[in-house]
This record gives sequence, structure tokens and C-alpha cells, in this order.
Amino acid sequence: MESATTAAPSHVLHPRAAAFTADARSIERRIGLLFALSGLALVLLMGVLGIVMRLTQATVISLSPGWFYRILTLHGAGMITGTLLVMMGALWYVLHQTVPLRVGRTLAAYGLIVTGALCVLIATLVGGFGAGWTFLPPLPFYPAGQWSVWSESLFFTGLLLVGGGFTVYCLDVLEQTTTRYGGLVRTLGWEFLRGREETAPPPQAIAATVVAIDGLLSMAAGTAIVVGLLGRTYDHTVGIDALVAKNLVYFFGHSIANLVIYLAAGAIYVLIPRYAGRPYETTKVFVAGWAGSLLFIATAYSHHLYMDFVQPTWAEIGSEIASYGALIPVAVITIYSMTMLVWGSRYRWTLASLLFYVGLAGWAIGGVGAVIDSIIPINFRLHNTDWVVAHFHTYLILCVVVWCFAFLAHLLERNADRTVSAAGRAWTISLILVGGYGLTGTWFLAGVLGIPRRYAIQPPGTTGYSLAGSIFALLLALGFLFLCLQLVPLAREAWERRHYELVERRDTWTGSRYQARVSRGPDESAALKKPADAGVPLATPAQLALGAALCVVGLAAFFPQVVDASEASIRYHHLDHAGHFFLGAMLGLLLGSLPALSNRLGQRPTLGLVAAIGAPTLMMLVMVPRFYEPLERHPFEHALYHLAMAVFGLATGLGATRLGRVTGRLAVFLAVGMTVMFAAAMK
Amino acid sequence: MSLHYGDPQIAIGIVFAVLALLLACAFVVIGIQAGTEVGFQRVHEVAYWLRKRWLALLLVIGVLVVGISLFDLPYAGGGAASRTVVKVTGGQFFWSLVPDSVPAGTKVRFNVTSIDVNHGFGLYDPHGHLIGSVQAMPGYHNLLDLTLSEAGVYRIRCLELCGLNHSTMQNTFTVTAH
Repeated sequence: MESATTAAPSHVLHPRAAAFTADARSIERRIGLLFALSGLALVLLMGVLGIVMRLTQATVISLSPGWFYRILTLHGAGMITGTLLVMMGALWYVLHQTVPLRVGRTLAAYGLIVTGALCVLIATLVGGFGAGWTFLPPLPFYPAGQWSVWSESLFFTGLLLVGGGFTVYCLDVLEQTTTRYGGLVRTLGWEFLRGREETAPPPQAIAATVVAIDGLLSMAAGTAIVVGLLGRTYDHTVGIDALVAKNLVYFFGHSIANLVIYLAAGAIYVLIPRYAGRPYETTKVFVAGWAGSLLFIATAYSHHLYMDFVQPTWAEIGSEIASYGALIPVAVITIYSMTMLVWGSRYRWTLASLLFYVGLAGWAIGGVGAVIDSIIPINFRLHNTDWVVAHFHTYLILCVVVWCFAFLAHLLERNADRTVSAAGRAWTISLILVGGYGLTGTWFLAGVLGIPRRYAIQPPGTTGYSLAGSIFALLLALGFLFLCLQLVPLAREAWERRHYELVERRDTWTGSRYQARVSRGPDESAALKKPADAGVPLATPAQLALGAALCVVGLAAFFPQVVDASEASIRYHHLDHAGHFFLGAMLGLLLGSLPALSNRLGQRPTLGLVAAIGAPTLMMLVMVPRFYEPLERHPFEHALYHLAMAVFGLATGLGATRLGRVTGRLAVFLAVGMTVMFAAAMK
Repeated sequence: MSLHYGDPQIAIGIVFAVLALLLACAFVVIGIQAGTEVGFQRVHEVAYWLRKRWLALLLVIGVLVVGISLFDLPYAGGGAASRTVVKVTGGQFFWSLVPDSVPAGTKVRFNVTSIDVNHGFGLYDPHGHLIGSVQAMPGYHNLLDLTLSEAGVYRIRCLELCGLNHSTMQNTFTVTAH
């Protein structure tokens, strides 16, 4: 594990950890705290809503189905967003020690996500949107009198902003890790795996890169379908293909929920060793495991479509293999290896380290429930029953949320240089474990019983499960409340120690000595060097020639025969537009990579980022029949419209060249992919 | 008709409970051992030896589980010649079944679709056991083959969030005695 300087002796970390643990820089603490506090505030609020729903199912309180579903929608979207925020902050906190991530981009990602969360909050609570956070199309357009068009639009805008924020984060992580470690293959450790290099990047860098790639893939799918649905809100002639849309929704939704835990994994590779006093180092098994995760995270989503029998059977079986495959790296290189670090280590038990340890068990137990459900014949009898709710709440509450608190506790304990009392820890953990496993246990039982999930009104004779679940949920809430109450004095002490110090002074009148409380000076820990030039996507003559060849291929989209043939359906028409976009994007990539133009453009990473994300999104937003059909009667305007598609592509391609070699290529690939997915989802 | 635990589901629940309990015990033991001091070299040697076996075990279980599951896939195959086709249509918030009854022992092919949004066709036998499900999707027809041996009133519940009255979207299907 790389660190320029080691930390001062700590009362909360393992004594051996000082050898491989650097003191956190001020910016790392601040970003960590900002993300952790904002995310946890959202998580706690959503937790309260969760209890309200369980009490409603238990008929203890009375909530109309309309309100139940708007709360259900908000609860899902809010929990994912809250935990995502915390874990983004946690990974940033550990990764920034060795990789010069950009603060501006991170804050931009934060701003987008928080704004998106506010949009969802308003769309659900005020606008009444209640189609579930998975918003399976075309349900958003069948409101049954519960919500209006503006709330649909605001909900989709909120999702776009959250997805956009995560995209910015992933792009920055990918750009900086691949620049820092010399290209994608080296960053993923594959050169090390093949024996061509002696060392590999640290575990958190490999994990972060995998998360960034899978995050970008799934956000591209999410953007494509959400923009498509947003277009449908102002053009009712747009038809949605239910199967393709469902694939895109789950690719986006399942992946983002899944990636939260993988973000967390990247953080615990650094944080748990600090309490075990043993560094976690990259091995070949680790590299191979994360290579598997790269594939499995992106392909496992399809198990949500097991009961969509029209999905090709090979895809269903492939998903079953991927779902099981995803278990292996987690079980072997993360959970097992972490317990290996802990075993016989004289583990330093603090509030944070205890929560980290308990979270490992939550991931393992919840994961078993998930893997059982991912076996097709079993899913046939458990699909969309409370079993699903049970397994994902096990690893979300008892792993992810617990780790969210663990991260905050780690920040505060390090700054305060103390932990909470043993009795306080024991009470907290006992309440969380009894409440948490009791709550999920009632859902597992309800799943075995066949109770469907997402029922505002439970089937007759089954409300007892909800009542028992409610009691456990209240115990769990008490545990988290107790945890928060212990964190408050810790935070106050951390603040005091961080901002003030006691210094020995002598009274000049009396000559007596006393201790004065004075402000600390500015943080003097050295900042990481600014990111090096990440190169351009097409650097060699061969690559430039390939870019030129692809431009020629893209020209086909303008051939009259192709344009005429594309009039057969909206889907083909949009595919033709995607072809125009492809031509523009390749041209932009080619031109922006030419040394003469690249030098004139300068670095401009922010402008590049805005163009690479904004241009394809805008292009899809204007790709609705309402806009282009009137133009079809006017050949010149119609041709201009097609040209505009290519111009959007050109802006995307040029912008991508400012993002570096690896990220630039991926950005163009994803932008073109988005337009194709967008077209495929329409009919 | 109330819900009851189905036999396969009970077996699934027991397997999960046993595995969860084993994992919980393992974490308690490791947590206790975490307080002791064992040389990391020694931990490495033993844990790496064990890790290889752990990986092999998971791979063997994976091959077995996936392999066995392939013999029990619920996806309909072959023509409908020997089957009684029941057309199932879901809509906000109703189920329409044509015909709505068949004799016991009939090999049924449920042809399931939706006129509006996604619904979930969940079939509960006369004892309240969930015996299977399939999605009802607008624009698509999913085919579910089942042999309904037991006479009685089967209940259909919606298993996919479909809007305001999702939890009350139900209907019945009757299997008559010979």
C-alpha cells in the first residue's frame, strides 16, 4: 500500500497500522464528511419511511395505497442515492491518498446527485409519483389518477441528475487511475497477472476502476431509457418496447444498487487493515477475482427477467451463471480475505471496526439469500415475493448502511483519537443485529409463504408478519438512534481537536504556566501532484487511420437508401439517427486527436466532460417524432436535422478527446451505445 | 383462501437458515479469534491453503447447482397441441382468463399478456401455495406450461407493481374434478 508519509501514533488504529497508514489530508476528511453526512441524513430519513410502510402493512397505521406507493418509490430511490453518496465519499477518501482525483468534479457530482434527490423527493411527495423506483415502463404513463405529467418529468429528471453525478464521478476515477497507473490494462493489474510486471496497483485502485467501468456502462443504459421516457412525457406518439425497456431499467437499477457494495469493498480494503494491523495487498488471485467481477457485475442484472419468458433462454441461463459467478470473487477475495486479515491479529475493536466486521457478515448472509433466489427454478417460486425484499435488505441494512456508519465513525474516531465505551458499542450492535436480522427474518418467512412484495394491503391472515417486522424495525431504529447519539460527542471532540490545540503558555505578569486553546494552523500535508496529461484517444497513425475508416463507415447513415429504409419504424429511424451521431462522434474523436488541433484545444477537461455527457443526452432529448416528423415534409430542414445529429456526435467526440486516452475512448463508445440503446427501446 | 408455506419453499427456507446459521457461527468464532495473536506468516500459510479449497468447493457447488437447475427450467417448450391454452390478460387492475376452468389433470398452457403495464401472474394452488409465476407484458406473450392435477379454486395474484390497486388485483381459476 502506497503512502508518502505514515500516520502519527493513534489510540484507535492498530499500532502496526502506522507503518502503512498515511494521515488523511484535510480535503480527504472534508469530502469524506460531506458525502457521509449528506448520505446518512438521506438514509435515516428513508429508514423512517420504511418503518411507516411496514407499520401500514401491519395495519398499525393507516396510509392510503396512493401514499404507500409514493413513499415506496421515494424510499427505494432515496436509499440507493443515500448509500451511494456515502460510499462514493468512502472510496474517494481512501483512493485520493494515491490517485489525484479532482475535487471540482467530485463536488460537481455531489451537486448533481443532491439536486437529483431533491427532484425525486418533490416528484413523489408533492407530485404523487408512485411507479416504484424501478419505474418499469410503461407504468409511469398509467398513473391511475395518482400523478401528473410534471411529476413524471421531474422524477426522470431527478434520476438523470443522480445518474449524471455518478457518471461524472466514474469518469474522473477512471481517468485518474488509468493515468496514474499507465493505462487500463496496467490499472486493472492484468500485466501483473500475466507476470509482465512485478507490482500491481493497490486493491482500492483496482476496485475503483472496475466500479467506474461498470458504473459508466450501467449509467449509459439508464440515461438511454430515462431520456426515452422523458421524451415520452412530451410526445405521446413514442412507443416503448416493454422487454428492451425492462432490460435497460434493470441494467441501470440493479447495477447501481449493486455497485454501492462494490464501492464499499474498495474502501474496506484500506479501512479494515488499519484495525487488523496487516496491510491488504494486491495478489494475482485478487486481480483475477476483480476481472471476474468486471464481467459479472455487468451481466448479472438479467436475473430480474427470469419470469419474462420471452427473454432468450440463453440470456436467462447466462444470467444464472453470472449471478452465481458474482458470488465467487466476493466470497473468496473480499469476505474470506478480510476475515483472514482479522484472524489472530489482535484486532483493535472500536465502534468503526466493529461495524466494519459486522457488515462482512451481513454481506455474506444476504448474499446467500440472493444466490438462492438467482437459481431459476427457485426464482419461479420466489419471484417478487418478500424473499427478494429480505435478501436485499439483509445486505443493504446489515452491510451497506452499517458500513456507511462505520465510515463516519472511522472519520470521527481518527480525528477525536478515541472510541466510544465498550458498553455503548455492545448495546448498539445488539440492537442493530437483533432488530436487523429480526426484520429481514420476517421477510424471509413471508417470502417462503409466498406473500408478494410491494403490497400496500397484505393478503388476509398475513399481517402478523408485518407486525413482527415492525417491532424489529423499531428495535433497529433504536440501535441506529443510539449509534447517532454516540457519534455526536465524538464529532464534537473531533471538531475541537481538528481546529484547536492546547499549548503551554506562561503568564507574563505572574510568571505562572497555563494551557491555552489556540487555533490550529492550516493543513500542511502535501497535496498530490496534479494529474499528468492523459494523452488522446487516437495516438498512433494506425489508430488515426482506424478512426478515419470508421468515419467512412458512418457515412452510410446518410445514404438515401439507408435513410429511406429507416422510415419503416421509429426504431429504425432512430437507429439511422444513431448512425449520424456515430459519424459525428468518430469525426470529433479523429479531429480532436490530431496533434495540431489537440494542442489548439488545450487541456479543457471540464468542457470536455460537459460535451461528452451533455451532447448525447441533448441529442436523445430532441430525437422524438414530435420534433422531426414535421421536418420530413421539408427536405432541406430534414437534412439539417440529420446533420444536427452528427453535430451532437462531433461535440461528443471532441469533448471525449479532452478526457484522456482510456476515458475518451470509453466515453465515445458509451455515447454511441446510448443512442443505439435508446433506439432499440422505442417502437 | 389464505396463504400457506409450499413444500419446495420450506426446503429452500431451511437450506438458507442452515447456511445463515453456519455463517453466523463462523463470524462469531473468527471475531473471538481476532483478539488473539497469531503470526501473519502462519495465518497466510493456513488461510491460503484453505482458500484454494474454498474456491474449489464454490466452483463445484456452482456447477452442480446450475447444472441441476437446467433440468427444471420453467420455460415452455414445444407446441401447444397436447395442451389446453388459457388466454390470460392482465390490466389495471384485473385478470381475465379464457377459459376460466379446466378439468383436473389437464396440461395447461397459460398464454399471458397485458393490455397496459407489466403485471406478474402468480398462481396459488387451492391450499394457498405459490406454485409458479410469469410476467404479463404489454406487446409480448409469455407461455407458462403447468399440469394442474388437483381440483379446486386456484388464485391469481399480481406479482409486479402495477399501480394503485396492485395489492388487490386478483382472480380465480377453477380446476374441476373429473
